[in-house]
Amino acid sequence: MTPMIKEKLITRNLEIENLYKIEIYKKYEGYQALRKALLQMTPEQILEEVKKANLRGRGGAGFPAGLKWGFVPKDIDKPKYLCVNADEGEPGTFKDRFIMTNNPHLLIEGIIITCYCVGIHTAYIYIRGEYEHVAQRLEQAIKEAYKNNYLGESILNTGFSLNLYIHRGAGAYICGEETALLESLEGKRGHPRLKPPFPASVGLYKCPTVINNVETISNIPIIILKGGEWFVKKGLPKDGGTRLFSVSGSVKNPGVYELPTGINLKDIIFNYAGGMKEGKELKAVIPGGLSAPILKAEEIDIPMDCESLMNANSMLGSSAIIVIDNETPIIDVLRIIVNFYAHESCGQCTPCRNGTWWMKNIVKRIFEGNGKVSDIDNLLRIANNIFGKTLCPMGDAASMAVRAILEKFREEIENYIQGKE
Amino acid sequence: MSLKFSPEAEKQIKEIIKHYPEKQSALLPILHLAQKEFGYINEEVENLVAQILDIKPIKVREVVTFYTMFHQKPVGKYHIQVCRNISCSLNGAEDLINYISEKLGIKVGETTPDQKFTLSVVECLGACEHAPCMQINSEYYGNLDKKKIDLILERLNNDTDD
Amino acid sequence: MIKIKINGKEYRVKENLTILEAARQVGVEIPHLCYHPALEPEGSCRMCLVEIKGVPKLQLACSTSVKDGMEVETDNEKVREARKAVLEFLLAGHPLDCPICDKAGECKLQDYYYKYGLFEDKFEEEKPRRNKLVRIAPNLILDQERCILCTRCVRFLREITKTEELGVFNRGKESLISVYEQELVENNYSGNLVDICPVGAITDIDFRFKMRIWFLEKKKSICPICSRGCNINIHFLPETFPFKRERRVYRVTPEPNPKINGYWICNLGRYGYHYIDNDRILVPSKRNENSEKLEEISWREFYEDIGNKIKVLIRRKKGEKIGAVVNLSLTNEEYEILKVFFNQCVPQSEIIVFGKEKGKADNFLLTEDRNSNTRGAKKFGFVEKKIDIKKFLSNKELVIFFGHEITEHYAIQFLSEILKSIKTKVLIASNKGPLINLMDYILPSCVVAEKEGSFINCEGITQKFNRVLEPLGKSKSEIEILTSLAQRSGIWRNFLLYRRTG
Repeated sequence: MTPMIKEKLITRNLEIENLYKIEIYKKYEGYQALRKALLQMTPEQILEEVKKANLRGRGGAGFPAGLKWGFVPKDIDKPKYLCVNADEGEPGTFKDRFIMTNNPHLLIEGIIITCYCVGIHTAYIYIRGEYEHVAQRLEQAIKEAYKNNYLGESILNTGFSLNLYIHRGAGAYICGEETALLESLEGKRGHPRLKPPFPASVGLYKCPTVINNVETISNIPIIILKGGEWFVKKGLPKDGGTRLFSVSGSVKNPGVYELPTGINLKDIIFNYAGGMKEGKELKAVIPGGLSAPILKAEEIDIPMDCESLMNANSMLGSSAIIVIDNETPIIDVLRIIVNFYAHESCGQCTPCRNGTWWMKNIVKRIFEGNGKVSDIDNLLRIANNIFGKTLCPMGDAASMAVRAILEKFREEIENYIQGKE
Repeated sequence: MSLKFSPEAEKQIKEIIKHYPEKQSALLPILHLAQKEFGYINEEVENLVAQILDIKPIKVREVVTFYTMFHQKPVGKYHIQVCRNISCSLNGAEDLINYISEKLGIKVGETTPDQKFTLSVVECLGACEHAPCMQINSEYYGNLDKKKIDLILERLNNDTDD
Repeated sequence: MIKIKINGKEYRVKENLTILEAARQVGVEIPHLCYHPALEPEGSCRMCLVEIKGVPKLQLACSTSVKDGMEVETDNEKVREARKAVLEFLLAGHPLDCPICDKAGECKLQDYYYKYGLFEDKFEEEKPRRNKLVRIAPNLILDQERCILCTRCVRFLREITKTEELGVFNRGKESLISVYEQELVENNYSGNLVDICPVGAITDIDFRFKMRIWFLEKKKSICPICSRGCNINIHFLPETFPFKRERRVYRVTPEPNPKINGYWICNLGRYGYHYIDNDRILVPSKRNENSEKLEEISWREFYEDIGNKIKVLIRRKKGEKIGAVVNLSLTNEEYEILKVFFNQCVPQSEIIVFGKEKGKADNFLLTEDRNSNTRGAKKFGFVEKKIDIKKFLSNKELVIFFGHEITEHYAIQFLSEILKSIKTKVLIASNKGPLINLMDYILPSCVVAEKEGSFINCEGITQKFNRVLEPLGKSKSEIEILTSLAQRSGIWRNFLLYRRTG
């Protein structure tokens, strides 16, 4: 059993009341990283630290942040943009809400440093529409930052200017996909775009754009303060820093847990989240948000990092751990999954639009008692037909999530179909 | 008989448009304002918003019908949106949905005759640590059970500010 | 130029092409639905997925550019499986409407299923129900069940006509294409939506339920409705059709021509073909002097009657008593004959020119000039000028009118008055019109679809066209008529001479 980790990066100082107010935040190293970055470092030096930190995207795709920033063309006469992805729609995930509600200035500070590094003067936080109060808190924090000359014209008298705006979404999971986010920001339907070209060269309003998750950006201040090498050591060599794990489901203590990348999943559930609820046994775990292929009870002895989970045919995704107990019929889980993807499909491309709808209808029929065992094979076939053929990764997510359930819990589903227990 | 935003909202709209180099970007924020002000987004509202942004009304409707938070028909004073996704379901969401449905005497998707409550089911609200959750208008309510729901609905039912 | 391999064979292609374009140029067809050469790539149908060596995931041919050394497989196992998958998804949500759908026989879903599908149907759920009769335009109906959301129609109206009458509403499988309230698609190019819809979702009210396309033959022609000279295909029932032919022509579609009309034609040209079969003058006739009624005569009679009159007038050196009223929609070859016949073989004869009234031009293909061959006429010296019609008619004994165009310039009452004094008035026209009641001889001529010849379009491009249909009834082309008339008018030797020497 790994000892209780005391080191907190993002969640440090959270026990302090009113940390979301700037005067409190400033008392506890707040905006020190900004000072260091703007007054003592060059953009190249900042990029170097972020690269050394091996900071991988915390939204779900896990793409190295330093690499992404490096793709933005330097000498270009178009404006550049930063979009912070606060859409947090992946079921089971609530860590970004946690950060923005309790420590909004940490995010803002990270944003300013990021923009200074890449040469961006306009940034947007795209926040899901349902987070109305969170958005209000962010607006308040942004106002405070402007008042303190951390935003606006010539920040800290360096000549570097930045405007930061909140942009609320309106209820569409697909807008968490980076190009759909851009479309939504441009006032259109959230239809993902073809890639290439990538947002780093052709993004918002066809200009170079960096899109990063809330948690990713919130790690920037500590990377500046303590350095990239320090940050890496808090996690794994190829996957630096800590992660905020959203733990929910049938556990005693659901919540956000900041733990080193690579910590064992079993550890998280039993040593941090209090283990299973009274009288329940663990049946399965979805390790990285609904899109992550499910793990059976015997598969949860696994380090939580991108590579390990990929090798186990699952994914770290948004680090959202959903614990399923033995009283939950797996058909319910399957039903939730297919309903979710069918509901959230944007409808642009054939395999996802028709495939998710088809799967939903088959599972509905099974659930209502009119299923056949051959339906399982048909579902697998459909999921395979969706995989690798869609315009955006959501099709793959739907496909993988469904396939994992069908492959790992086939017997239980067959029993359900045949009316057995 | 032409529809107008309140002077308060018009001020906000002017400010919002400044945030973006292209006017159409202000469509979502303005639709949120429109929904708050007019309750729902019908043809008249679509035309008003289209006019403000110099775009065709069809573009407004394309957006309104894509996003689940925008309504083309009126919703009750209190829009009860219960999460039906994984963590909430693992914590008894389905039972609670049925409970609310029975208590209010309406099916999912319907509105009570006094126009006070509309019941919807939604996908993950991003508050799974408090599962099961629901959102009523802009407020989140978590760690729900039948008793809590009774209290919440009673309080809302008795509120007289209109 | 760069080198690429397609299905193992090496080709040299231009840079900056997409795989689909490059393959097409070398004769390899890659199936596609949402792609259209005149529109920006969309990438949503997923039908054109191909395998590129070294790339694990299949890529879209319509939006991936070729690179030097690229090796593409468009027909291996993996690609075929992907195509089948996409087809299956499309068909799963598609109604089984073939028996009642106009598109049958030219439907991409059918074609691709036969070529790439042929799989067992594993769909057992209920098909989605949508509105099958959405009136999106005065001339168009949208069937939302058949729609595969390729969005070609939406993009056409956004990129080509820039009118954006159609939009996509809702999300996921609930997605629907429609218009906004009562703002229908009312531009002059809406008919093209039927052509670009790969399935039978958008149908033409003009053609709906009228004819199965496999009964129709199609041949190329030129649209005569304005001076653009758009290339068209005329779809007609051949005489071998086993049942009664109610009419010949059932529809007109564009023939792509990058120099003239691109992939499109306007609605005037598309729906303006009914004159080919309707209201035609079918037989030569002569007005009975006593009863004033028109009686059918033979062509021979006409040639002899009028031929004699011309012969006599020429012998008496009274050529100036012969006149012709010519329009601007004859072929180059016909103008040449007219010039020879009147200017060179009948000395002192006079020709005046009347074209159709100007119309409104749109910013695209339709020109103000609604004549088929103004520039061709000009080349042979026939130009519309301001003339004193009374003076022209004052000394005439025989006037031959080609077409009814003169009635667009003078009121019919007025014409009736001033034509009274002319001894012999001949009308050579394809369709009935206002001049008929004023004429002594009425001869049926061919429409453009029944002739061969050439037009010069508004930009000076000469286009040859061939006969598509057999002349209706007893109609003949103007060349035939004038040639036969020349034989009977005593000018044959000169006629042949000038024709040869030009």
